[in-house]
Amino acid sequence: MSLANVNADTPEKHEPERIGRLSRHSFRAKFILVVSAAVLFDLMLAGGVAIWNVQRLSKDATEKVALGLTTATEEYLRTYIDTTALRTELLLDQVFSEVEALGASMQTLIDNPRTGAEIGQTVETDPVLGDKLVFNQAADWSQNEPGESVVSVWGYLLDDQGNPLPAVEKQIADSSAFNLVAPGMMKTGSPKLQMYYVGPKDMPIMRTTPYTDQAQTFDRLYPGHNEENFWDFFFPGVYESWQSWIGNPANRPVPRDIVGTAPYIDAITGAKIVSFFFPLWTEDRTDVAGMTAVDITLDQLSSLVENVKIADTGFGFLASSSGNVLAVSDAGAQVLGLVSVGGEGQGVTGINRFLAQSEFPAVAKLELPHNEGTVIDTLNLATRADGGDEDYTVILKELAPINLWDGEKIVSENLTLGFMVSNDEIYASLTAVQQELTEATQRIINWQIVVLLVSLMIVTLAVYAISGRITKGLSQLADAARALQNKDYSVRVAMTTRDEVAAVGRAFNRMAEEISYHTENLENLVEERTKRLETANREIVDLNKRLKSENVRLGAELDVAKRIQEMVLPRLSELENIPQIEIAAFMEPADEVGGDYYDVLFDGDHIKVGIGDVTGHGLESGVLMLMVQSVARALQEKGDRDPVAFLDVLNRAVYKNITRTKSDKHLTLAFVDYENGKVTLSGQHEEVLIIRANGETERIDTMDLGFPVGLEADISPFVATLDLDFGPEDVLILHTDGITEAENDTGEMFGLDRLSDSAHENRSKSAKGIAEAVINDVKSHIGDYKVFDDITLVVLKHR
Amino acid sequence: MEISTNDYRVWTEGSTIHYEGTMRLSGTDAYAPILEIMNSILSSKPEIITLDLTGLEFLNSSGINLLAKFTIEIRKQPEVGVRVLGSKSIPWQSKSLRNLQRLHPALELTIS
Repeated sequence: MSLANVNADTPEKHEPERIGRLSRHSFRAKFILVVSAAVLFDLMLAGGVAIWNVQRLSKDATEKVALGLTTATEEYLRTYIDTTALRTELLLDQVFSEVEALGASMQTLIDNPRTGAEIGQTVETDPVLGDKLVFNQAADWSQNEPGESVVSVWGYLLDDQGNPLPAVEKQIADSSAFNLVAPGMMKTGSPKLQMYYVGPKDMPIMRTTPYTDQAQTFDRLYPGHNEENFWDFFFPGVYESWQSWIGNPANRPVPRDIVGTAPYIDAITGAKIVSFFFPLWTEDRTDVAGMTAVDITLDQLSSLVENVKIADTGFGFLASSSGNVLAVSDAGAQVLGLVSVGGEGQGVTGINRFLAQSEFPAVAKLELPHNEGTVIDTLNLATRADGGDEDYTVILKELAPINLWDGEKIVSENLTLGFMVSNDEIYASLTAVQQELTEATQRIINWQIVVLLVSLMIVTLAVYAISGRITKGLSQLADAARALQNKDYSVRVAMTTRDEVAAVGRAFNRMAEEISYHTENLENLVEERTKRLETANREIVDLNKRLKSENVRLGAELDVAKRIQEMVLPRLSELENIPQIEIAAFMEPADEVGGDYYDVLFDGDHIKVGIGDVTGHGLESGVLMLMVQSVARALQEKGDRDPVAFLDVLNRAVYKNITRTKSDKHLTLAFVDYENGKVTLSGQHEEVLIIRANGETERIDTMDLGFPVGLEADISPFVATLDLDFGPEDVLILHTDGITEAENDTGEMFGLDRLSDSAHENRSKSAKGIAEAVINDVKSHIGDYKVFDDITLVVLKHR
Repeated sequence: MEISTNDYRVWTEGSTIHYEGTMRLSGTDAYAPILEIMNSILSSKPEIITLDLTGLEFLNSSGINLLAKFTIEIRKQPEVGVRVLGSKSIPWQSKSLRNLQRLHPALELTIS
């Protein structure tokens, strides 16, 4: 067996929850939270929109500035490269025109052989200008002494004694005008390295100004040249190309006779040079007659290109169509990542610095424009010392085409001028602007955040301060309610404001007062009330007893009166035994005791039917009706047959009783006497209806046949009789005003006409049948409406 | 003086007493306030009292008893004349008012 531990529930003492002033459930905390949240939301929204707008403005401004700067920079670069291209072409044009001028002079001598020979003879005999050839036996060539210009005659143009062959002799003389023209041209015009003349392929003597150790240098740099034809050794393919132009000038790749070479190291000066050739033609224009040429150092082109200054480190370069960079500064070459490669298999030593061989893939992949004008591109190069990359803007422009000897033949060549500049440099101002805009934006955002935080702090502090005042009343109410709950009814709230809370506070105070009052006076009040209730109760019980006995008594009285009234009414058997006349009657009092009267008095041969109506109803009226019945019965029994005397005596008897009993009532009363086919009417009452056997209806006014009974001591002066025939099947209707004045719910009375019509319609029925039909009509007229008066109907029908 | 209900209205103008509406009061006691008005006019002994019944559509037998009793009271004071105004269009009036004249032959009855 184990004992179960039964824990009795200990009822907890009801302690109302105390809410701290700023606990998360307090009204004040919620108030502060809601207002602060609203302000925070507002500030965040406004601040967010402002920040967003500032950022958008900054972004837009940056974009606009960048676009403007880019456009301006590109415009500047285009203009700059156009100008530089123009200058380059001008430089070349100038050089071209000088070699053309020299060529044109020489061509004039060829075209005028006699004059040419004479001028040649003259020049040769000139002690200064004449060529005084000296044969170098060891080298097997002939060359003049130093002077304004040098003429070299190769071994294969000399005889065994070292003298030029006769045709060569003539060629030397005919071309000696070169000494007259070339040195002057060399000293004027654009800077030139040298100008020279080469004879036709069968006599390729070479004249050059200024004077150099031409043949010696050739021997040193190009061994074996003295055994081979000059043209084939140094410029293979050039002569043949020119020869092809003769038949069809359209064979010229570029419609100009000038032909350039790729840059090469000059054998004589060792400088990087470019040569430009101008072909000479025979007098009959059937063959090439040599050429004039000019060498210019690449420095001239380079200085144009290298002088290009864009920002701090921007540079220019000139490249051939094959991507060989002809001119560029050393710094520029480094930026482009160019590698110099010595030329191989060429008559002269070329220089090759191809873009395609750049150490930077972006440069290697750079495509030069072909007939596309100016191209701008951006290259990303790993040029930084730390291995970082850098963006460069590169702008390329193709120059006008020239004829170029590519070492084998003459082709069209387009040089391309290029500029390159670091984006960091040209867009330095843009970067600076962007930086400033970013900084300004950040500043605005920072300030915005500071303002937001300060605003929030101020609002929160303000709300905290105000909330205390707003919720003070509520706090006091809560405290007071708690005190009240702890049965401290003396608590009251001090209300300083005039708001709704104050109204609640005042109501609270009133309630507290009432509670206090009722609590303190409760016992007294209960005792007092109980006493009063007891007294009242006793009184009620007494009254109830009295009422009950009174009610019983009254009810008994009314019952007695009603029974007496019913008892004195004629029995059905009584009526049925009457010969000659069928009599049916209906009587229904409005209250327990009615004031209507009717009776049928039959003493064997005389029938007397009475009908009357006592004013009002109830016990007094009923008693009066009984009096009338008794007096009428007595008079009938006495055998008084005179209706006038009958009514007179009856009135006297009733009047005296009324006077004695000090009753205010009186009654209308009429009688119908029947005897031998004749009725006699007497007394004043409602109109009497007679419906004849032939259907005619007669209404008989009884106003002049009598007077209200019980009103005057003597009514005999007013009483009269009216005799009427009453034969077989004739119907006589007597009624009280309860029938004619019966109302329906619209206030319309049943009326004599309806009574007359109803009786007329049912005249063929028995007296009982007529009475039932009429009463049915009256009842259906009244419907559910109130019955005001006693209803009495008596129907007589002659058998 | 005036008594007014939903059904009827009785008021006096000088020595004329006007009756209007439908009077179906239950008995003598119920008619007492009206009798009081009529008696107060009578007690002032005017030369002639006029009962204007032309607006009284219906009067029950207790009401007729009231008029009869009042007529008998006036009859006791020969110096006070009485005039009753009735309407032919109201059935009970042409029937019952003649009795008042019979009670007091000096009563001036006008049924128009």
